[in-house]
Amino acid sequence: MTEGDPMDHAIVTSNLNCRYGAVKAITDLTLQVEAGTIFALLGPNGAGKTSTLRVLMNIIPPASGSASVLGVDSRKLGPDELATIGYVSENQHIPRWMTVDQLIRFCKPLYRTWDDSLCNTLLQQFDLPRDVRLGRMSRGMRVKAALVSSLAYRPRLLVLDEPFSGLDPVVRDDLVRGVLELAGEERWTVLISSHDLDEVERLVDAVGFIDGGRLVLSERFSDLHARFRRIDLTAPEWPSPPASLPTWLGVQRSGRLLRFIESRYVDGETERRIAAMAPEAVIDVQPMTLREIFIALVRRQREVSR
Amino acid sequence: MLPFTVTLRPGRSLHDQIVFAVTKAIVTGQLQAGDRFPAVRVVSQELRINPNTAQKAVTTLVERGLLEVQPGVGTTVAAWRPVSSVGRRSALSDSIERLVIDAKRLGLSLTELLDTIRREWK
Repeated sequence: MTEGDPMDHAIVTSNLNCRYGAVKAITDLTLQVEAGTIFALLGPNGAGKTSTLRVLMNIIPPASGSASVLGVDSRKLGPDELATIGYVSENQHIPRWMTVDQLIRFCKPLYRTWDDSLCNTLLQQFDLPRDVRLGRMSRGMRVKAALVSSLAYRPRLLVLDEPFSGLDPVVRDDLVRGVLELAGEERWTVLISSHDLDEVERLVDAVGFIDGGRLVLSERFSDLHARFRRIDLTAPEWPSPPASLPTWLGVQRSGRLLRFIESRYVDGETERRIAAMAPEAVIDVQPMTLREIFIALVRRQREVSR
Repeated sequence: MLPFTVTLRPGRSLHDQIVFAVTKAIVTGQLQAGDRFPAVRVVSQELRINPNTAQKAVTTLVERGLLEVQPGVGTTVAAWRPVSSVGRRSALSDSIERLVIDAKRLGLSLTELLDTIRREWK
C-alpha cells in the first residue's frame, strides 16, 4: 500500500481549521496517524489538542478542511462508526447516578462487539466496586469505569484525551495496563493526548507536537529520540566559542562548559563535526527523555514566536 | 511477572534495553535453553510498553539466535550455541571502541580501565 492510502491510516486530516467565535483553535492542521500504531498528540495547555480530538470525534465541526477517521469523513461519523471507536475524555459526561454494573448494562446493548469476558477481566484488574454510584467514586475510579465501558467492545480506534491527568501513579499504571489489554488486536490504533510524558514515552510509536493550533512536527518516536541529544562541551578555555548552529537549541555557557541540545544528531558524524570546530573540547553526549525533548521544543517555539 | 530481570530507564531505547536484559538473563542462567519465553502481549503489558516495541525486541532476539519460535508451542529460549571466539570478539568491537574513546576522554589509564572491567566481570 502507498503512503497516502487511506486504508493505511486510521486518521487523516487535511488543512483542518477550527474556531470558537473569533478565536482560532486549530490552524491548517494536516496530520496522519498510521493504522496499528499508538500516536501521542503533545503540546502545551491551550495548544489545540482537545479541539483536534473533538473535531475527529464529530463533537464539533471543522470551520474548513477535512478529517477522515477510519476512512469516514468526521462529519459523517454516526452510531455505526462510533461503535468501533472508544473515546475517553477528561471532560466527558458520565452518568453519576449509575453504578458500574448499571453503566455496563446500559452500554452493552449499544455495541455488537461487546466482549463480556474482556469486561470482567478489566473490572477485576481495575479493582472496581460494581455497586457504588459513579458520583461517589474518586476521579481515578470514574476514569477506570469510563475506560472499561470504552474497551469492552474492542474498538478499532481508541481516542484518549488527557486520560492520566490528576491521577496517582498507581491508577495511571492500572490504566496503561488496561489499555494494553487490547494490544495485539489487528490494526488497533490509539490516539492519546497527554502531559504525562513518562507514561507516554513507553507507549508511543509516533508523536505529533502541536502549538498555537499548528502542528509543529509529526514523527516516529524512534527517529525523534535518535536525533535529539544533550551535548556538553568542556574546553580548557574558549578563546572564541564556536558559533551556534541552527540545529542547536537552548545554547548555554557557564565557565568552561558549553551546553546545548542538538536537534539533528547523527551518531559519530556530530562528534566529528564538533571536534573539527573545537578540537580542545571534551564532548559528552547524552540521549534525552521525551519530557526533555518536549520542554526543548516548547522553549524553541516560544523563542521563535517572540 | 516476567521471568527475567529488567529495569527500564527513560531516555534510552526501550528495544535495546529489553534485548540487553534478555541477553544478560540468558548469559547468567536466569533463562535457560528450552524455557518458555512470554508472549509479546504479556511482555508489553508487564512492562507497560508499546506492543510493537515488544515485538521488535523479540524479533531481534530471534534473529540473534537467543530465542526461537516453535510453531504451536510459542517462543522458547534457544539452546546455547557458542560462536567462534573471533565472532564473539567482533560482535563486541563497536562497544569496545566506544569504551576506549570514552575512557581516553575521561583521562583513564589502560590499567584503570581494566580494573573497572575486572570489577564488573565478577
